[in-house]
This record gives sequence, structure tokens and C-alpha cells, in this order.
Amino acid sequence: MFGSGFPTNTLDDFYDAKVLLLMGSNTTEAHPIIANRIKKAAKQGLKVIVIDPRKIDMVKVSHRHLQIEVGSDIALINAMIHVIIKENLYNPEFINQFTVDFDSLQKQVERYTPEFSSKITGISPEEIVETAREYATSGNSMIAYTLGITEHHCGVNNVFDIANLALLTGNIGKKGTGIMPLRGQNNVQGAGDMGCLPNQLTGAKSITDDEYRLRFEKEWGIQIPSKVGDTQTRTFEKMENGEVKALYCIGENPILADVNMNHTRKIFENLELLIVQDIFLTDTAEIADVVLPAMSWGEVDGTYTNTDRRIQRVRKAVEPDPGIKEDWEILCELSTRMGYPMSYNNSQEIWDEVRSLAHEMYGGISYERLETEYSIHYPCPTEDHPGTFIMHEKFHQENNPTGWKSKFVPVTYTEPIEMPDEEYPFVLTTGRRYESYNTHFQTRYYAPGVKVKQTEETLDIHPLDAGRLGIEDGQLVEVSSRRGALTVKAKVTEQVVPGLVFMSFHWREVPTNVLTINEFDPISGTAEFKACAVNVSIAK
Amino acid sequence: MEATKHVKTVCGYCGTGCGLVLEVNNNRITKIRGDKDAPVNNGQTCVKGAFAYEYVHANERLKYPLLRKAGKLVQATWEEAYDFIAEKLTHIKTTYGTDAISLFACARSTNESNYVTQKFMRAVIGSNHIDGCNRT
Repeated sequence: MFGSGFPTNTLDDFYDAKVLLLMGSNTTEAHPIIANRIKKAAKQGLKVIVIDPRKIDMVKVSHRHLQIEVGSDIALINAMIHVIIKENLYNPEFINQFTVDFDSLQKQVERYTPEFSSKITGISPEEIVETAREYATSGNSMIAYTLGITEHHCGVNNVFDIANLALLTGNIGKKGTGIMPLRGQNNVQGAGDMGCLPNQLTGAKSITDDEYRLRFEKEWGIQIPSKVGDTQTRTFEKMENGEVKALYCIGENPILADVNMNHTRKIFENLELLIVQDIFLTDTAEIADVVLPAMSWGEVDGTYTNTDRRIQRVRKAVEPDPGIKEDWEILCELSTRMGYPMSYNNSQEIWDEVRSLAHEMYGGISYERLETEYSIHYPCPTEDHPGTFIMHEKFHQENNPTGWKSKFVPVTYTEPIEMPDEEYPFVLTTGRRYESYNTHFQTRYYAPGVKVKQTEETLDIHPLDAGRLGIEDGQLVEVSSRRGALTVKAKVTEQVVPGLVFMSFHWREVPTNVLTINEFDPISGTAEFKACAVNVSIAK
Repeated sequence: MEATKHVKTVCGYCGTGCGLVLEVNNNRITKIRGDKDAPVNNGQTCVKGAFAYEYVHANERLKYPLLRKAGKLVQATWEEAYDFIAEKLTHIKTTYGTDAISLFACARSTNESNYVTQKFMRAVIGSNHIDGCNRT
């Protein structure tokens, strides 16, 4: 809608915002330092509205907690849009000048009255109306979200609706507003921006942009297919039907991290060639045909891109084992072996190639500047450019000189694919825990003397449900879904509501993803990690 | 004993991008503190960033390439591993076409490594079938 997939503002903007909708983000555990910022801003008057099915720690500093039903975000946002339009809390002049398709948005949200959406979300109509008013009228409202928004079969629509809300109220393109997806991995933003996506080249421009593609073809001396490639999800489908024969997997452990694990394992075993490049012998590496040992953080040099478009230097601290190599070095040597010579002396040479090819984004961000300035927000086209703190400022230029208009994308609420029933009466939602990270290969190794609180997986269950089933805290329970079953200790906690249970995916001993469902967003390919139906009983 | 080295870097866990100062003794990270000069965290750290660094020195780290021979992963040289991959990839590419090869890139690796990764896929394999866990 805004023409790019970047976080629109910076982490400093929490201090300038008046209202923050914090959606599907267990910030304290997944992004602790950002949580500290939000808490500090809350003390200075920021109204934090937590929208989350769980009573997460951020609720303590919140102005309000909308404890919505899992996967009902669109019902809530559409109702907020409904209220904002009905009560004339939007700026018609802004809508006229900078947007198109307002009429279809208006039509789409007509039936999402607060009463209608209250039944879906479990939030009272009054609270929906109040939240809509607060967001629309504060002057500066911001939205931050994490995987609680995207890990649904309707993840892309969830994000579209967040953008609809921001655009409708003009909360975009100025300080203290905007939309901030909080990224879960140190360089997930950077990997995508560098072109490690099926639909874009370095600099986050579309692969279908002929002129841009030509720039790379000239520099690299080859032809690049103009057709968008396959997402991970599509690749899995093609592995299943035998079309994909070879997979090169770098620093990822999909066997443990992806949904419906028993199925994932089966399709990986279908491959003729599985190459894994990693720092440990992960579950995925164990079934590979060839495993290449890579350098880890602490051993590599280069840059990362953080969650607010900041390029920062990562530096080598220790000499790695002489037998291992850096990712780019491995790829260069393999590439040369396959008849396309590639070689660089160091990471700076590679970065300078990135800077020259994607100069609109990174031209001005040299290693020298990063030494003195610590971090620079892209886009930063030239050495004398300060970097870009706020994207889309064009929305607030008088008379819209660029003529840019943003399109509303109205969306419909659809319930999670698998709803609880008699056989599987609980909704299982999954996420991260504070001390652990993803498939836990790194966080197994804490420094000596550090007391880790959560040392194993638990099923977090509400006291009412536990009481009804005769389950005590710490007792072993069996959790089963239509796809698999496992045994795990129960943790009785009011962090979840009755009917909802929670697990992380950190422990290979308790592989939560044997339970999760292989349903995906049709556009992004993101899996519905956040909702599936399970049964819980005392383990025999 | 070498003198203690202090290295400024950025945390490798979540996407916040906290600046850290690593204390290094005898080629081992021995302590991590938040970098007061870092604009993101102003010296703060979380439990992962400050303490979960021992994996870098873990004995279980991979130290040489492994090749599957007679059903088992066994130690191989880089040359053997490269030869095996190059031959297999070339064979699959010529037999089934470029659509039969996919790559999952690493969201933990540097921008520089990720740039080279997609260049490898597009220039050497000739395909856009590259994705990361941006969605998961």
C-alpha cells in the first residue's frame, strides 16, 4: 500500500507517540530492550493498548488490554475503522488528497459494527469504540506488531488492515506515528533487503522491475530470470510432489522450526540433494547429504540491519577454528568451482558492491561512516545524507506535489482454519520465551553461573482448565492434535485464558511443531503457527 | 596470557540491534556488557545478549565438512565437499532445470553474506527460488 516493506519510523518514536497499539507482540520476552523503551515511554504518558490473547507482561504498563480471541484481529480492526468513519474521526481532506478506494473500505467495514465484532473478538463494544476513538484522535498514534499478526493464514490481510487503519487516520509519515513490525532475528530485515527473497533484488526492489534488474545483469554479466521465484512454503509443496530435487539450507533448522514436523521430515527425505550450512549439527543437518561448517556471530565481520532500518557494524571478536569458513567465502568458492568466479578480500568489498548497485538505499552508508556514526537508517543515498528516520513523509506535503496516492485494501475476517471442537477442545498458540531462542542451539550454552528459569518446555494452561482436568502444576500431560502428539509438563498460569494453551518451539526434546497445522497465508506463505486445535489430558 | 581485548559489535539474537562490548581473553569471549554509546540500547542488555554466548566456543560446533557415505555422515575435506556439491547441483540443473533447485537463506548472517548468497543463486544457479525465514 505504501510501496515498500519497511518499518516506517524508528524506535525513538515511542517517545513522541501518544497512543501505541501493541499487537501480537510479547515484547518483554521477545524484544526485551524495546519493551524497556515502551515502558519508559508509558511512564512519560504514552497510552499503551495491548492487543493480545495472553495476559503478557506488557499488560502491566498498559492503559488497556484487549484480550482478543486468537486470530480475530481483522474483526477488531474493521470495527475500529467502522467507528472512526461513523463518528467522523478521520480527515476527509487527507483521504481525498492522498488515498484511493476509500469508498470500498467504507463499504467493506459497514457490517463490522462494534456489536458484530464483539461476538468474534470477545471484546466489549464499548472497549472497541473507546480504542477506536483513542487511536484516531490522539494526534500521534503508532502501531507495533510481531508474529502474533503475521503467523496466521490471514497474516497478509492482518497487515493490510493495520495499514488501512493508519492511512485512514493519517497516522503515517510523521514522527510518533507509523507502523513498526518488530523483527525477530538479528538480520531478518537485512537478509530480505539484500535480495534473499524470491521477489526482490538487493535494495528491496522488485525482480520484475526490468530497468533495475538490468543494472544487476550488467554488473554480474549474466541474465536474471524476471519471474518471481518460490517462497519457502511453495518449495515445500514442490519437494512433496518431487519437482524440487535439491535444497541448499543456510543457518536454518526447518525440521524443528516449521509447522507439522512429521510431514516436514518426510518431504525433506524426498530430496536428492540436501546441503546444510550451519554452526551445529541441527536436526536438519542430521539428515543432510552434505554439511558445511560455517562461522558464527563473534567470528564474522560485516553489517546487520535491525528492526528500524538501522545499518550497524558487526565485528570479529575471536579467531574461528581453522577448519571453518564464513558463509560468503563458502559461496564464492563453490561459485568459482561451478564456473562463475566470485571472490572478495573482505566484507567491506562486498558491502561496497552493495552500495554501488543499490545506491538509492545504501550509497551513503560506508564502513568509515559507520565507525564514527555507529548506525545509519536507510535510505541513505549519498555520503552527505543523514539517513532516513521517517518513511512516507510525502503524505504530509502540502498539495501532494508528488501526486502519490495510497490505495486502501479492504479485507474480510476469516476464522482460524482449525477451530476447537469436542475432540480437540483447546486452541494452541505458540511463541518464544525470554531466555531461549528459536530452536535453542545457541541458548543451550549460557555463561557459567547464570541461573536460567525456564529450562524445559511447558504447556501453559489456565487454572480453571487445569482444575477441571485434574492437572497440577508440573504434572506431565499429553497434548495431541490431528497431526501428532507429545508429552510435556503443565505450567498452570493465568497468562492464558480458559480454552487457550501456549507452548514455545525451543526444545527438540518436546517438538511443539508436531502439533501445529500446515496451513499458510496464500500471499506470503507464512504458516498458521498461532492457532490450531489440540486436546490435553493427564499423561498415562 | 594476552591482554584483554574489547570488541564493539552488535547482538546476534533478536532484531533490536543492541550494541555490545565483548571482553575477549585468550581468544574466548569472557564477558559481554551493553555498549553505552549504542543508540539502540544505551548500555542495556537482556539475558540472552549478555550471557548466552558460550555457544561460540561449544565443543559441539561443526569443525569440518561432513559427507554422507554409505548412509552415514563422515568427515570430508572442503575439496571433496565442493566437488560433490558442484557435481550434484550441475547434474540436477542440467537434468531437471533450474526450477528443481531452491535455497533457504539465513536471517542470522551478515548483509554481506546474504548479498553473496542471492548472487550465487541468481548468477550461478540462474533462479529466483531463494527465500528466508522472513515469514516464519
